[in-house]
Amino acid sequence: MMSKKEKFLYPFYVITHPFDGFYEIRHREKGSVPLALLLILLFGLSFSINRRYAGFIVNYVYTRTVDSRTDIIAVFVAVLLFATANWSITCLLEGEGRFKDIVTVLGYSMLPMVLTYIPATIISWFIAADEEAIYYLLLGISLLYFLVLVLIGIMVIHNFSFGKTLVTLVFTFLALALIIFVILLLISLINQVYLFLESAYTELLLRM
Amino acid sequence: MKKIFLILFVIVFLSADGSMAYANSNVPYHTYNYDYWEDIFYTPAAYIPNGSISGTDIGVGFLSNPQDIFVAEDGRLYIADTGNNRIIILDSQLKLERVIDSFDHGGTLDTFNGPSGLYVTQKNEIYIADTNHYRVVALKEDGSLLKIISNPTSEVLEEDFVFAPLKVGVDYADRVYVIAKNMFQGIMAFDNNGNFTGFSGTIRVTISLYEKIWRKLSTKAQRERQVQFIPTEFTGVDLAPDGFIYATNIDADGQQSIRRLNPKGQDVIKMKANGKLSGDLWWRYGMEYSGASRIVDIVYRGNGIYTVIDTTRGRVFTYDHEGNLLYIFGGKGSQKGTFKSPVAVEMKDDQILVLDSHRGEIMFFVATKYGSLINQAVSLRYDGDEASAVKIWEEVLELDSNFELAYVGIGKSYLAAGENKKAMEYLKLGMDREYYSIAFKRYRDDILKDNLGYVLTGIIVLVIVQSIRSVIRKRNQKGVGYDE
Repeated sequence: MMSKKEKFLYPFYVITHPFDGFYEIRHREKGSVPLALLLILLFGLSFSINRRYAGFIVNYVYTRTVDSRTDIIAVFVAVLLFATANWSITCLLEGEGRFKDIVTVLGYSMLPMVLTYIPATIISWFIAADEEAIYYLLLGISLLYFLVLVLIGIMVIHNFSFGKTLVTLVFTFLALALIIFVILLLISLINQVYLFLESAYTELLLRM
Repeated sequence: MKKIFLILFVIVFLSADGSMAYANSNVPYHTYNYDYWEDIFYTPAAYIPNGSISGTDIGVGFLSNPQDIFVAEDGRLYIADTGNNRIIILDSQLKLERVIDSFDHGGTLDTFNGPSGLYVTQKNEIYIADTNHYRVVALKEDGSLLKIISNPTSEVLEEDFVFAPLKVGVDYADRVYVIAKNMFQGIMAFDNNGNFTGFSGTIRVTISLYEKIWRKLSTKAQRERQVQFIPTEFTGVDLAPDGFIYATNIDADGQQSIRRLNPKGQDVIKMKANGKLSGDLWWRYGMEYSGASRIVDIVYRGNGIYTVIDTTRGRVFTYDHEGNLLYIFGGKGSQKGTFKSPVAVEMKDDQILVLDSHRGEIMFFVATKYGSLINQAVSLRYDGDEASAVKIWEEVLELDSNFELAYVGIGKSYLAAGENKKAMEYLKLGMDREYYSIAFKRYRDDILKDNLGYVLTGIIVLVIVQSIRSVIRKRNQKGVGYDE
């Protein structure tokens, strides 16, 4: 059993030693879903803070329209959708990872972004137009780091080769589109059923 | 998403209409503008209706479907009374001076047939687009024939091309620019002898990748029935004194309806970052008043300011030389100051004239304090005199605190005066990132300069302390060694 301190420091180990780190998440139960969820929440928060408070020169967002709740929910929904899509595809393709492993990989991989978004936001207050590069570099590197970590994580927890990981990722995005399509379909169908029931109800009311 | 907002906005807008009091004016239209985020904000009226004149007011009977008006440099007003095949000339006091319905053409009396465009040069020569006679007629001031442009021949023109001019413009060197019916290649340019010299301002058709793929996949029969990718037509033309052509065209996507063509025929108009220069930024899809603005005429007003008119919603848009939308007024309706079918816009002294072909009337609009302040400030800015514009911008802001251009103007002058912090504040309100960045840099440099002494002193002190400590430590270690 890991100590509390060890548990909280483990994401830092993962981002510096991704292959070993993710392997131990899958096989030695070193990962923690609540911690992953916390990291996702923190990322959502820092993402939103960045959108709202980044300096005027680099901020092209209409800050009045930024709503942290929507941003955080959007991040969670994206993670959930991706995890579901990836899980359903890798299940079929003999991936070894469990759903909670996928969520943990995504959450732990967000650590670099959690660490850089707020410092980048603060840096953005002190830069002029021709120094934007520093800011964008910081954001870009952390995003790239995140993508690499996710790639390695997916590869390791499912025990895939690199090529197979890429193929499953392509399928994952197809599955993602499919899921969104089905959800939209469902919403519109439920809406129609609801409208039918509502009109039947009003009809009944008026007849009685 | 934005569409939904627009619909919501329209609902709110309509429901609030009755209860909301527009204290600024009693004009029969909404006066609004778009901010940086393309949101609508309401402004005071920049121009208000100031009467109208019809054919009966002039004393020539009803105008029948007039298509164009022109105000000459001496203040005379020319009306192309298309349906009645005549040209009406009013003097600068708007009293009837003359009606031209025929001219002497080599001994025989010749008439017009559907003259739908006209232009008057500085020498008071009248150029008339005599549409249904397929020619452009140029008359001298006394009404005698100067020249006739017809049947242009060129390799670039198709054999069966019928030259039916709709609008006409003439530059300082008597070159004639003609917008012809079904001519999609651009504005036709003629030299001072009436020889066709080429096209000006050809609009390239852009086909998206999706459309290309779609066309590849469809059969020939299908392709024939699809929408053809033809460039849009030009609708109106005006000439600036420097010879630049201001032209309008139809753009159903609402991207660019206004062009400024240099003598080589290239479009050199300046646009804002969003790349749109086409009247309204938002519109309804379906039902009444839907679709992008249909810009049909333009008037160049000097100092880089130009005004265009939209037939879809009957609005008059005015831009400055950088493509900033200055003000919007007008609307459709049957009240005084609204239009049924606006077709032409002109400028007489300080008044904006709009010709309504359906009503056969010319509406006059006069600038309010708000409108004329903006005109003044923008003109000063165009001349590069931003310093004297500041006072006027401040007055504009008193009337309309949402006017971003005013904030930019004031901010720039603070920047020039070295008040960087104030400049930053105003430039941010005006959403000008470029100049804000300059102001910010100077402000940051000032702070650094003021505090550099402390920072450097601090660093030096730290270094000294650190080195003293290390020296002491070394000495202590040595001491320990000696003791042993």
